[in-house]
Amino acid sequence: MQSWYKSGSPWVWLSAAGVSFSLIAVLGLLWLIASRGLSYFWPAEVYQFDFTDEQGQTQSVIGEIYDREQVPYAQVAHLNLPFLSSESADSEQASGEHLTNEQQTLERILIKTGNRELTNLDFRWLFQGSIVKQSSPEHIAVIERRKNGDFYGFIDAIVSGGQVVELSQLPLLLARARNLQQQVKKLERGEIRSVNFELERLRLHERKLLMKNQLDQNTQQEINQQRAVLEQNYRAFEQSLNSVREQLMRDQIIVTAANGRQVSLDFADILQITYNNQLTTLDKVGLFLKQLAVFVSDEPREANTEGGVFPAIFGTVLMVLLMTIIVSPFGVVAAIYLHEYAGKNTFTRVIRIAVINLAGVPSIVYGVFGLGFFVYLVGGSIDNLFFGEALPAPTFGTPGVLWSAVTLAILTLPVVIVSTEEGLARIPSSLRHGSLALGATKAETLWRIILPIASPAIMTGIILAIARAAGEVAPLMLVGVVKIAPSLPLDGDFPFLHLERKFMHLGFHIYDVGFQSPNIEAARPLVYATALLLVSIIVALNVGAVAIRNRLREKYRALEQ
Amino acid sequence: MNSANSVSITAANSTTANATEQIALEIDKLNLFYGEKQVLRDISMSIPKGQVTAFIGPSGCGKSTLLRCINRMNDLVDDCRVEGKINLYGDNIYHRHVDVAALRRRVGMVFQTPNPFPKSIYENVIYGLRITGEKNRRVLDQVVEKSLRSAALWDEVKDRLHESALGLSGGQQQRLVIARAIAIEPEILLLDEPTSALDPISTLTIEELINDLKKQFTVVIVTHNMQQAARVSDQTAFMYMGDLIEYSDTNTLFTTPVKKQTEDYITGRYG
Repeated sequence: MQSWYKSGSPWVWLSAAGVSFSLIAVLGLLWLIASRGLSYFWPAEVYQFDFTDEQGQTQSVIGEIYDREQVPYAQVAHLNLPFLSSESADSEQASGEHLTNEQQTLERILIKTGNRELTNLDFRWLFQGSIVKQSSPEHIAVIERRKNGDFYGFIDAIVSGGQVVELSQLPLLLARARNLQQQVKKLERGEIRSVNFELERLRLHERKLLMKNQLDQNTQQEINQQRAVLEQNYRAFEQSLNSVREQLMRDQIIVTAANGRQVSLDFADILQITYNNQLTTLDKVGLFLKQLAVFVSDEPREANTEGGVFPAIFGTVLMVLLMTIIVSPFGVVAAIYLHEYAGKNTFTRVIRIAVINLAGVPSIVYGVFGLGFFVYLVGGSIDNLFFGEALPAPTFGTPGVLWSAVTLAILTLPVVIVSTEEGLARIPSSLRHGSLALGATKAETLWRIILPIASPAIMTGIILAIARAAGEVAPLMLVGVVKIAPSLPLDGDFPFLHLERKFMHLGFHIYDVGFQSPNIEAARPLVYATALLLVSIIVALNVGAVAIRNRLREKYRALEQ
Repeated sequence: MNSANSVSITAANSTTANATEQIALEIDKLNLFYGEKQVLRDISMSIPKGQVTAFIGPSGCGKSTLLRCINRMNDLVDDCRVEGKINLYGDNIYHRHVDVAALRRRVGMVFQTPNPFPKSIYENVIYGLRITGEKNRRVLDQVVEKSLRSAALWDEVKDRLHESALGLSGGQQQRLVIARAIAIEPEILLLDEPTSALDPISTLTIEELINDLKKQFTVVIVTHNMQQAARVSDQTAFMYMGDLIEYSDTNTLFTTPVKKQTEDYITGRYG
């Protein structure tokens, strides 16, 4: 034992155990969010349950099984569940125990029933004991809708323009509806939005002239003319939009829900219809991939609990890239000054310690600072100077993607400074001397020798900054993130990149969907899926940066000998 | 020369045979302090043009420090203070208005350990020209070939000029660094123990190279290897504890040293 201890093996085992633990923790975390998140996209089997309700009546419900749990009998004893008395005889025979035993637990299952217009609740718990019959009929249709969540039921008939048509027309009519929906979207997002944008611009232009007292008769007339043209365009677009919408309302589908009630659904609202119980594994894989693609490329619906997260992905990546562009030059320049030019005295040391300690300031404090300084002070001044015509509606004097990027740049600045300085300190002085001895000035040496060699260290700093910034949510809630952004910060209207706009962020999206949505049960898998996506994006950003760093390292590799 | 001072010995005086010899460098009462500590004491000497001058002496005697004074590399040391004058063809390099970068283009330097930049061989050689803004490709190509030939490296690297200089062997790297230094055509070339990190064969190559170099440049070399000083130099200065003890032509110094200390050192009694 003594010799084993002396041999150093315990330390090897201890450190190996530490590594294993970390690995297991990381992999377990990834596995959890991946399995929970991805299962959201997998088309689940749909069951019909016949059960006895509290009045002893038999009812029927259709839905997907979401969860199972054991509840102690004591917790539900007061409910006076009818199935307990009627079925206790059977259970007694099977288990040899009396069901009303206080120790007994009951299994209950969580079923997603959808059909929000009929029941108000998407989910309900059923006691396993109360279920009389569980079946999976082949032609239960799962209807994904634009509003009100999913609908589970049996398709009875299709009505097209008041006429009942054959069920085989379904795919055709669905395609038509989808087509029309796209037209609506194109009109709303494209032409109508552009006209509105132009109208607003014209209004601001007019107001600006008015404020400067330069609005004479002629220009006023000109503006009015332009406005008339735009308004005419607007009306024309609106008209075509209305006609498309009318066409959309032509077809309906008649569906019977589990409790026998018939409901008529508009094709306009239907996104897709699947018969989950008829799908082969291959179909399911196809559907899974399709849902996944929709998730990353589509916009959210229904208070973010349905649809995709594309605006959040876009916002996150754009904000992080902006942050990188801002923080890199500042951090590098600050590090160069501290390491190369500042005198080696107490003052410099104090500054360096202060910079390092900045990294420890809680991020929400940066958010408060960003709000007070960037948004209100800087943004407010910009508004006063350049966007006076839009006041009191703020342009830059309100949270936006630019201020978020700047705030996070400040937050990550210490990281970049510290690793750049370390990189500078690692460069052998013989290289500096070599360059200086050839008649290069200090600045030339820095630019031609020191900075290229320090570039891998700078990249390390940027990688750490990206990792930190992409996961940061708290400060963003103060300086630019919103639940739903009406438009992306990048679009077809001049100047294309709208840095003053608010944006959506995956981190905030997780919080919002998980804790602020009206339907938390329904949103839970979405939370995991979004978390998985956020992790993937951070990994992707980091892998990109690491690849660049490795190329730089390769270039200057022999130096490390 | 002011011969009132006991350490003011000029090589020119002792080699009376060649009186037309031009003086490249004249060091005049040079004192150097690192903080409170005096490292060089009242050094005065003249270094003739077109010859190889060697500084020898035990470790810490100040020979490298003296060498670094000649291209003002000591400026980089924080608390270094220099008194006295060094005249490069009559101009004091410690004058207030001297452009240090320009001075270093006139006085090239090669360090103890090879320090090629992590760039291609080609880029290493033309580094000095890049600094001065030379862009003409033909000129650059010519300079690269000429410098590498002068440094006896051309034949070994002519097929891989655009590969990394860090792939060269230590001896090749040191010759590359010499080529880099002579590419900007300095008037004086300072070599600070150029072979101390090299194997015997590379050392021999460098020593042969130094013999060739003196046709074009005035060479000042610091070495802790007395045989090397005897082999390559025309003049030799022996330094001890910050003092210049003896300075004369190499033959005289090694065969009939005037000072007891010099004799002790070259016969290996200390150092």
